[in-house]
Formats: sequence, C-alpha cells, structure tokens
Amino acid sequence: MDPAMINTFILYIIPIFIIAFILYIIRALSGPTISDQVLAIDAMTYDIAAFLVILSIFFREPILIGAAIVLALWIYALDIYIAKYLEGKEMGE
Amino acid sequence: MYDILTYIGLIMIGVGAIADLLAAIGMNKFWNFYLRLHAATIGTIWGAFVPIIGASLVAIGYEALGPYRWFMAGAGFVTAFLILILAPAGSHALARATHRARIVKVEPCIADHIDESMCVKKGGNK
Repeated sequence: MDPAMINTFILYIIPIFIIAFILYIIRALSGPTISDQVLAIDAMTYDIAAFLVILSIFFREPILIGAAIVLALWIYALDIYIAKYLEGKEMGE
Repeated sequence: MYDILTYIGLIMIGVGAIADLLAAIGMNKFWNFYLRLHAATIGTIWGAFVPIIGASLVAIGYEALGPYRWFMAGAGFVTAFLILILAPAGSHALARATHRARIVKVEPCIADHIDESMCVKKGGNK
C-alpha cells in the first residue's frame, strides 16, 4: 500500500470533515440556549480530535496525536464544568 | 499483510467522515436540545471514535513512518478509548444539568416522570 494512494484518499475525506465543522459552527452560533452551543462545540471538537489524528497520517507527523489526546480530555472538562455551573447556579444547593 | 489493515482503516475513516457529516446535519435539523443529544452522540462515537481506530489501523501498516507508526497506533487507540468513555459521560452531565436547571423544556413530550412541569404535551400546554 503506497503512501500516495493513502494520501489521495484522505485528501477526498478532508472536505467532508470541513463541511461538517461548518455545520457544527452554524449550530453553535445559532443555538437558542447555552446547552445547545456547548453541545455543538463538544461534538465538533471531538471530531476535530479525530481530524487531527487523520491529519497526522496525512502529513506523516506522529507528534500531532499528542494534541488529539489533550483535546479529547479538555472537551470533557468543558462539559463537566458547564454542567456544574448550569446546575449549581440555578438550584443554588 | 498490512494491506488488509490499511484497507479496513481507510474504510473506517470514510465511514467516520460520512457519519460526521450526517451528525452535523442532524444537529441543525433537530428542533430540540434533547433530540440534538442523539445527533451529538452519533457525531462523537461514529464520527470520532471510528475514524481514530481506522487511522490507527492505517498507521500500523504505514512503513513510510518507520518506528513512529507504533507510537501513532498506540496513541490513536488510547485516544479512541478515552473518547469512548468521556463523550457519553460529558453529554449526559450536560443533559442532566439542562433538565434540572429548566433551561430547555421537553418539547415533544409524552411523559416526564422526573419533573411533570417540564413536559410540554402535543397541544402545547405551556
């Protein structure tokens, strides 16, 4: 399996991912409530982490995967933080 | 021998990209936060977990990278495992907080046993 064939295949996959990111950003900007925005950012960034892994194969740069791991962890922290804030502020337990 | 892995990996990347696109469309088409949770979960598991596993399989059979391909495959599997655990937990926490903080009413609702006042029946008794 020569690398050129892999790279051309991934080259066709990249625009699909980019269109998906644009649609997620549209939902993130227009989302009526805070939760919609956070959910759109959450789903989009997990896909950006996957996109990073695919790009690291495309550019043959193994170091990019370190960023994908950190991104996945960071997005989980964003979710938990927003959930804690939404719940704690409203109910005021 | 590695050709099989590369083919499988490329197919998984393709499936992941299409699933990601469908999830993004779903995020815009569904009209309520709780419905969008479904689209977000599809975008996360099929759109992120599957392509990362596919990319790791491709990385295993990718001689051009030399010794680093094992690092990439291992890190890819770790990332996929992390996403598999973190994504549902995160979106569940978000959904719980949204429901308890009454930010989004349950629009197309039949019964909401947790909190009856949140349930908006078909006729829309606000």
